[in-house]
Amino acid sequence: MRNWQPLAEGVAMTILISTLAMLGALAGGLAVALARLSRYRVLRALTYGYTELFRTTPFLVQLLWIFYALPRLGGPALTPFSAGLIALILNLSAFLGEIYRAGMIAIPRGVVEAGIALGFTGTDVKRRITIPIAFRQTLPLTVSHWITLFKETSVLSIIGTAELMYEARVVAVDTYRPLEVFTGVAVIYFLLTYPQSIILNRIYEKHRPQE
Amino acid sequence: MFDFTSILKYTPFLLQGAGLTLLVSIASLCIGMCLGLIVALLRMSTIGPVKFIAGLYIDVFRSTPLLAQLMWIFFALPILTGITLSPFYTGTLGLGLYSAAYLAEVYRSGILAIPQGQWQASRAIGMNTAQLLRRIILPQAVWRVLPPLASMWISILKESSLVSAIGMEELTFRGQSLGNLTLRPIEALTATALIYFAITYPFAVAANALHRRYLT
Repeated sequence: MRNWQPLAEGVAMTILISTLAMLGALAGGLAVALARLSRYRVLRALTYGYTELFRTTPFLVQLLWIFYALPRLGGPALTPFSAGLIALILNLSAFLGEIYRAGMIAIPRGVVEAGIALGFTGTDVKRRITIPIAFRQTLPLTVSHWITLFKETSVLSIIGTAELMYEARVVAVDTYRPLEVFTGVAVIYFLLTYPQSIILNRIYEKHRPQE
Repeated sequence: MFDFTSILKYTPFLLQGAGLTLLVSIASLCIGMCLGLIVALLRMSTIGPVKFIAGLYIDVFRSTPLLAQLMWIFFALPILTGITLSPFYTGTLGLGLYSAAYLAEVYRSGILAIPQGQWQASRAIGMNTAQLLRRIILPQAVWRVLPPLASMWISILKESSLVSAIGMEELTFRGQSLGNLTLRPIEALTATALIYFAITYPFAVAANALHRRYLT
């Protein structure tokens, strides 16, 4: 276990890329939800296709496509870091988009009508009423997707993003000690993820009576 | 820009991969469903240590990435036990253990959702635990469990792509090697994605219907 340094760097990278991807996907998911509820049919159809495509294909295939195929279609050559980040954001935005859409639909019409009666414009109703309520009501699902995302970053090791899983594979090869390294990494992931799922359970319990 | 004619003759190559994806997914689901039920029942046991171990199993497999579990089974398990598993068996075992942890929680919440009164009534008419589980509780829990089970099946189908990382020649592996072979990654990876979509989408539609029917 003299090789703690690359593993620590891997942990830092895992946390960094998860955080950036989550921020991107919160915005992306909101945009997808609004587009799917838009009054323009083309926009609705496009985002529906996007959502279904990203929810029914494996994340790894999306990642490989962005890393290997996208640059050849005229896109810029991507580093493993940026390809991984883009793939995570696109994947998670599709899932969060569905959740926020459902959250917005679930708001009783009366609430929206009350907003309009108070003189809010359509945009104001969205910005001040619909979106905040939808975000709040779906908070447990958002947190649960954060945990999934946190674990999913390990897949980025396959295209060479230097996060925890990648560093582990490098160290395992360098030291010829796969047993210790892979066990250690599993323990690290557990220690990082388990407290998050405890927090998630708390949030679920807090949310239950309101539903 | 897209030229699918160049990879069209490799269609059987990809479809064989898709077959293996389905095979490993079905085998994993079977393991996950059976083991998950056992773990769920142990988790609800009244014996402290049994309950603790079942809980630990669930937490460990749900709090670590599947890829880390697969790597561990493939690279670390042989050193620890001397048993070397092929990529196929590693994938089946890994996905099976992983889905068992999730399904155990699904079963447990399905079983706990059945009102306490039914347990007491079954006991009162003289049923033992096995009888009341088999005749009263589980038949009702099945319907509550069906929608999340369908979601789990879709997850397994997609997560099985990770087994390509340890060298099993399923759909993702073949799509990637076809891209390298023909120097046409765009077409090969797009075709791979479309095959996954074609397999998963019908299940997604069915899962949505189940969710609407049984969980509202």
